[in-house]
Amino acid sequence: MAEKREYRFDPERWLWTPWSRRKFLSAAGLAAAGLTAGPLLEACGGGGGQSPGTAPKATIPSPRAGASIHLLQWVHFVPAADTEFIRQCTEFGTQFNVKVEVERITADQLQTRTAAAVTAGSGPDVIQMQYGWPHLYTQACEDVTNEVNLLKQRLGAVAQVNDAFSKVDGVYRAVPYTVVPNAWSFRTDYFQKAGLSAFPKTWDELAQAAGKIRAAGVPPISQTDGHAYGDSLTMWNPVLWGYGGREVNADGKTVAINSKETRTAIRWAQGAVKAGLVVHPEWLDPDNNQAYHADRISATLNGASIYIREKNEFHHFDKVTDNAVVPAGPKGTFTMNLIFNHAVMSYSPEKDTAKALLLYLMDKANYLKYTAIASGYNAGPFAAFDNDPVFFAPDADPKMKPFQQVVKPGKWPGWPAPSSKQTAQSQTQFIVADMFAKSLQNNGTGDVESAVTEAEQRLRAIFERPS
Amino acid sequence: MAILTQRASQEARPRGLTARLMASESGLGWLLLVPTVLILTVFLAYPFLFGLWLSVTSAELTDAGHFIGLANFRFEFTIDRPFLQAFANTFLYTGVTTVFKLSLGMGTALLLNQRFPLQRFVRAAVLLPWIIPTVFSTLAWKWMFDPTFSVVNWAAVHLHLVGYPGPNWFGSTGTALAALMIVNTWRGFPFYGVSILAGLQTIPADLYEAARVDGASRWRQFTHVTLPMLRPILLVVLLLSTILTFADFQVPFVLTNGAPFNSTHVLSTWAYQWGVTGGAIGLGAAISVVLFPLLAILVAATLIAVRRPD
Repeated sequence: MAEKREYRFDPERWLWTPWSRRKFLSAAGLAAAGLTAGPLLEACGGGGGQSPGTAPKATIPSPRAGASIHLLQWVHFVPAADTEFIRQCTEFGTQFNVKVEVERITADQLQTRTAAAVTAGSGPDVIQMQYGWPHLYTQACEDVTNEVNLLKQRLGAVAQVNDAFSKVDGVYRAVPYTVVPNAWSFRTDYFQKAGLSAFPKTWDELAQAAGKIRAAGVPPISQTDGHAYGDSLTMWNPVLWGYGGREVNADGKTVAINSKETRTAIRWAQGAVKAGLVVHPEWLDPDNNQAYHADRISATLNGASIYIREKNEFHHFDKVTDNAVVPAGPKGTFTMNLIFNHAVMSYSPEKDTAKALLLYLMDKANYLKYTAIASGYNAGPFAAFDNDPVFFAPDADPKMKPFQQVVKPGKWPGWPAPSSKQTAQSQTQFIVADMFAKSLQNNGTGDVESAVTEAEQRLRAIFERPS
Repeated sequence: MAILTQRASQEARPRGLTARLMASESGLGWLLLVPTVLILTVFLAYPFLFGLWLSVTSAELTDAGHFIGLANFRFEFTIDRPFLQAFANTFLYTGVTTVFKLSLGMGTALLLNQRFPLQRFVRAAVLLPWIIPTVFSTLAWKWMFDPTFSVVNWAAVHLHLVGYPGPNWFGSTGTALAALMIVNTWRGFPFYGVSILAGLQTIPADLYEAARVDGASRWRQFTHVTLPMLRPILLVVLLLSTILTFADFQVPFVLTNGAPFNSTHVLSTWAYQWGVTGGAIGLGAAISVVLFPLLAILVAATLIAVRRPD
């Protein structure tokens, strides 16, 4: 009689490999003994911090042969990243006899699908969670603490923002997946025409640069202040933080938007618009990409997709495009990046297989292939990816470095409050962006007091809502 | 003889509930109603009652919540400022588009009621905006209003109607609301047109002949013959269109989704914002049902008006 095959987790290759039952059973006792120190270390270390090699108590989920997994996620702005992601899923499927279907939709449609699946208790086994959604759909997201502990053991600490979004009341509800760093892409030829030799280092310098660009008669520096899930949030939250403003205090309860610091941030934005920064409340995430590729703007804050697609596909302005980190405010440099994590849905009949798939995708070798093919559009959410060759190899494109540099200063909407259901609601309602947009109406002459008051009322509506 | 009597008594004896129902006219009527009642109960009454229940609870997407009375409604009317804006927008959106849809629909129907070459083709073509899936056509409009690549602005600038670069359609509240109304009117007027056309074709020609004999002008024929004869159909079309426009979700969601700065939300998109993206399904349900009393009165008044003799 043929011996029943089991799969074991190979810590060297970070892969599941077929193992005989006899070998599996003999190794299991040793593994159990070696994996028990983790919770103690985590209790001492706290947060996502854990040095590689420490061993939290963790069991390795096994994929079930014959299972089907449906994974729902966004369409990457860099098409090659989609191809590689699907290739890895298919590879996992072939290796373990699992059918993996990857469904991709635009990121602004993800939440509708997620909410429908959560309400119906049926749908994709794995859903890509944007920002703090695990705080909104907590009960529908399976506890994946065990799997994250496995990853922490192997890959080190979880990036601060991924940790804040994925962990709800001490329980991981999503497996940290990726950071999409947001930095400025700009046209060096237009900047030179305006007499600018480098991208501004502070917000004040950016306002001055916008004026010089306008005076030179070249396309403007432009950014959305509309309801763009990425580009609007990643612009206006850092401006607010850079001037010391905040939506809510660190207690996560006291609304603090109505402050001198908030008004200073808004006054800077109004000054920048009057000088020449062009804001577009109607722009969604793809619009600044299109405008840049169409030679309509000279700089914008975005993921690396503008530069990567210029370099790899369009070749119109790649030679005259450079990238720069987000300018600093008086309180320092703050950034916000687009964050995605993968949740295994609690209604899924194939939870173990889904978890195994996510661990497979986060395997260091696999993940580095993914970031390499995405050309640095994504950064890894664990410490082991901090030195990703896509940014640090000798032949790495130096123009991509700013995208790596904006990862560490990254914060989450609602910061310094902990990520919560309320901060997630505030983010999905674009309260900060709306406050700026309202103040920047009519060429930067909107009513600041009315905008701040409205933002405060809306935040109170969220943080003081009856429950 | 005995055998015949036995057979007669067997035929007279009821053969079961179904047979008895089939034999009775009223029974058969009730039986035929069952599928309809079942469908209405499952797909209409249950979701509606469930929505009413949700509106008085603190339900979240992953939590059934508990009864909180009218707290959701109090919250909306006293604290949630964008709700009040959405409330006002909904009335403005419905009011303005209804006037335009009725005017354009009436004009279209009167034109299509004339004889002209390719009349059938034109009648079919007019229906196109109504036939095309709403999301599809709204996306096309969104592209046409696009700030960078707007064909509307391009045409307007080249016709010297506006200066370059033309209006930023979704950049300010006024133009964004105007864009919403243009798309809703474009999509909705064929419904009026075709319905009114159907009404026009039922008006007996001799009424117009009699009016002409009495020396009535075309305008008097329209106001004294056409409009009164169209009254029932106009009321029903207005009622349906008003309800559908009050509840319109697809056009505002796809075209602006509240932008700029939540100033173009209508009640349906604001309910979605709280209920789906915000996860507060109880609050979303409360926003959804807030117009129910008003619409119920509107429906009742219209139905009474339709039944009232001239």
